[in-house]
Amino acid sequence: MEYEVVIGLEVHVELLTKSKLFCCCPNRFVAEPNINTCPGCLGFPGVLPQLNSEAVRHALTASLALNCEIALYSYFDRKNYFYPDIPKGYQLSQFFVPIGSKGFLIIEDDNGKPKTVRIGRVHMEEDAGKLVHAISGNTSLVDYNRAGVPLIEIVTEPDLRSPGESRRYLEQLKGILQYTRVSDCKMEEGSLRCDANVSLRPMGCPDLGSKTELKNMNSFKAVEKSLEHEIKRQRDILRSGKEVITQTLRWDEGSQATIVMRGKLQAHDYRCFTDPELAPIELTEEDVEKARAALPEMADVRAARYVNEYDLPEYDAGVLTSSHGLADYFESCLELYNNPKVTSNWIIGEFTAQLNSTGLEPDQCSFQPKDLVELLLMIDQKLISGKIAKDVLAKAFQRGTSPRLVVEEEGLLQISDQSELEKVIVKVISENPDSVENYRGGKAKSLGFLVGQVMKETEGKANPRLVNELLLKIIGS
Amino acid sequence: MEFRKMTACRAAEAVNNGETTACQLIKEILERCNVLNGKLNTFIKIAGPEALEQAAAVDKQVKSGQKLPLAGVPVAVKDDLCCRDLPTSFGSPAFKNFISPYGAAAVEKLTDAGAVVIGKTNLDDMGIGSTTTSSPAGPALNPWAPDRVAGSAGAAAVAAAQCLIFLESDSGGALRQGASHCGVIGLRPTMGRVSRYGLHTFASSFGQIGITASSTDDILAALEVISGFDARDASTALYREKSAEKNAAVEPEIIKIGYPTAIIALLAPDHRNLMERAREDIEASGFQLTDFKLDLLAEALRAYYIIAFAETSSNLSRFDGIRFGMADYAENLDELYYKSRRLTFGQEASRRSIFGTFILSQGNYDRYYRQALKIWTLVRREFTAVLDQCDLLLMPAVRTLPQLVTEQIDFCRLYEEDLFCAPVSLAGLPSLCLPVGEVDQLPVGLQLVGRPFSEEMLIGAASRIIPEIKFPPNVIC
Ligand SMILES: [Zn+2]
Repeated sequence: MEYEVVIGLEVHVELLTKSKLFCCCPNRFVAEPNINTCPGCLGFPGVLPQLNSEAVRHALTASLALNCEIALYSYFDRKNYFYPDIPKGYQLSQFFVPIGSKGFLIIEDDNGKPKTVRIGRVHMEEDAGKLVHAISGNTSLVDYNRAGVPLIEIVTEPDLRSPGESRRYLEQLKGILQYTRVSDCKMEEGSLRCDANVSLRPMGCPDLGSKTELKNMNSFKAVEKSLEHEIKRQRDILRSGKEVITQTLRWDEGSQATIVMRGKLQAHDYRCFTDPELAPIELTEEDVEKARAALPEMADVRAARYVNEYDLPEYDAGVLTSSHGLADYFESCLELYNNPKVTSNWIIGEFTAQLNSTGLEPDQCSFQPKDLVELLLMIDQKLISGKIAKDVLAKAFQRGTSPRLVVEEEGLLQISDQSELEKVIVKVISENPDSVENYRGGKAKSLGFLVGQVMKETEGKANPRLVNELLLKIIGS
Repeated sequence: MEFRKMTACRAAEAVNNGETTACQLIKEILERCNVLNGKLNTFIKIAGPEALEQAAAVDKQVKSGQKLPLAGVPVAVKDDLCCRDLPTSFGSPAFKNFISPYGAAAVEKLTDAGAVVIGKTNLDDMGIGSTTTSSPAGPALNPWAPDRVAGSAGAAAVAAAQCLIFLESDSGGALRQGASHCGVIGLRPTMGRVSRYGLHTFASSFGQIGITASSTDDILAALEVISGFDARDASTALYREKSAEKNAAVEPEIIKIGYPTAIIALLAPDHRNLMERAREDIEASGFQLTDFKLDLLAEALRAYYIIAFAETSSNLSRFDGIRFGMADYAENLDELYYKSRRLTFGQEASRRSIFGTFILSQGNYDRYYRQALKIWTLVRREFTAVLDQCDLLLMPAVRTLPQLVTEQIDFCRLYEEDLFCAPVSLAGLPSLCLPVGEVDQLPVGLQLVGRPFSEEMLIGAASRIIPEIKFPPNVIC
């Protein structure tokens, strides 16, 4: 029998705020445990929560960017349960009324056609601390640095139909949240976390099959792989006539397999009720419209603009807008240098290669748009060749100096002085009479060899176009 | 100094104009406090050295020419309010050594105004109850009849002139009933008038900080000092928006006081007679009187308890043995919770936690909690409607005389003692309990209830009604 795959994703994203959700502690990663803590986020008696309005603004922005309806009146509820990583014995979360609901994202399905993925809810909540289990001995320690960090949870309806669709949904979601500066969405560092619910049903069947929950996937690739693995596992079970057990599974990166975490999907009774210590969150239509107007241009719109306005190929536009940082970098360059295609080539090629090898973001590296433009201008002015420029970019990037300084220090200025070049050409011709003969005899390739010899003599500093021109003039055509 | 007839305002005046010093005043009251504490068990901790140090600082300020509204006034604080540098026990043996790194906003405002904290008073298990019979330190005794409880240890301390002002929490009526039982004046302000930062409350929706003293002037002086907006307590934003009708002239002729004929019928004959006599006295003072009734009193009491249980189960969750409490060795997490919570909570705190857990559980939420929320709304509406017709309401505060220390009372009957106080808490209204007479040589007070933020009117009206405050005849000293 053929089965249809049904996937729903729950994504937790840490918000980029200065402080935690309910206290003034910094929302910043530190390695040393329990540094970013105060009586509030440690759950001391008598300390009340103070809502961080920056987090509310971020949640509003994210909800709008995900096409959600906005609740003008919402509030926080307590999810009560015992675990050492939650200091108050409850987690504050928007359980009853999420700030955003009924949103959607449009992604490409497996056939390349647009498809709407419905987003059920976007709600705010506070993060928990971290348990650290001592390697030896029988103690566990708690680090509350992360406790109280603001999160939003974004839950899709069960609209995804394949691991590929799931990955594309995540990529699009990440792009949007980064574009809106809501989160840095670094899955490896835990600022974006994803759980998946998967089930299979016979093709055409309206009812959902028994689902399993997948956890602990720490890259988009791992999400895709674990889903593939889990779908195959469920399909094998169903085909053999057995039933899928509802349970929580953990993706194990080492063995590339899923491992049962909890025998049964425990229906937690969180005993939720509305928090009596926080005031409700009241937004006006005006607040919402202001936030909507402030939304930045999204990746797809930006890419379309690059194609229309700058005449860039779709491929270039797609790569440049894949991260807001790269797109911002590109646009900053264009403010100083009016050749979009050349700029794009350099950003997509050499600049990205340097970013990848250092792991830096465009706004973190010292090689700023003005530096790239300086380099491009030197090429245009024929001060250096394109080939040398690649080398200059790498050195300037790594040393943190300007490209002009690299060129000057290394004596890389291109030779465009005609008389100087002529001397070298005469020398090369006299040393390679065979090649000259061959060329005259009709072997066009030999010209290339001679140009190469001139470049070698000048250590690559000769202007190749000029060399070509002069050679032709001297050996005649 | 004759403390029996001393008021806080008079004491501050004496310190400010140099008749005496804060140090002298505090030294004398500490002696008195220590002697009486052997008989009354009102204080858990008398902070002698700390108080003398504070007093010296006040004298220095006064000497430098500052006028402090409460200069040198000895203040006692219930032991569920955190004070910097003084231990806070919350009425639990597990908190013997807990010193908070922060002080309650209300306490710090008092000390900033020159008041001196002389100690922390006795209270029930986790601050839950209005008898102090569940205190690990044993009950506080009533200065009028040492075989009976005081209800509120601080009210007893004010009655016996161990201190001049007392700051305490009131949820279902502990403060008001204590004032009634001890023959002093107790004010529970509107929720939002006083910051609760630093108060551990078992029920966040109702726990409020109030003032007990032996004169209306002292209540007013302390209220002016402690009230106001505080970013650390979201509820005080309401006060910032509405603000009190300060300096509203209280002319009896234009004030209409509601008298609850139907409710009076619920009282025992002696208490009923007292109410009726009070009515005559009030009428004689020139106030207009009119009849009112409340149909939802019994339902309000139940709703109050259901919501308070639910919040208690959640508010006490933070005491899980990880950061607070006496975390003994445990094999696993469940054992750790079991051991430490059993040590932290007495019978009443445990009972209410369990009730609250039950009430919020799946299925029960709708059956109990949601119903209680609906009643809450109806009760607010009923009080608002009644207060449309009257400026103030006269209500009983207690149903019976304070219990005998040796008496074992069923917990349900104790809950019913709150029939007149808890509904006022539910309605979020300010209430002042004032002594009006005696039953069996024991003082009995009644409540004046007003509109939100009408504390000044309550105090003004009370000052015209209260007969001379009597001193308990058994207190020789
Ligand atoms: Zn904090």
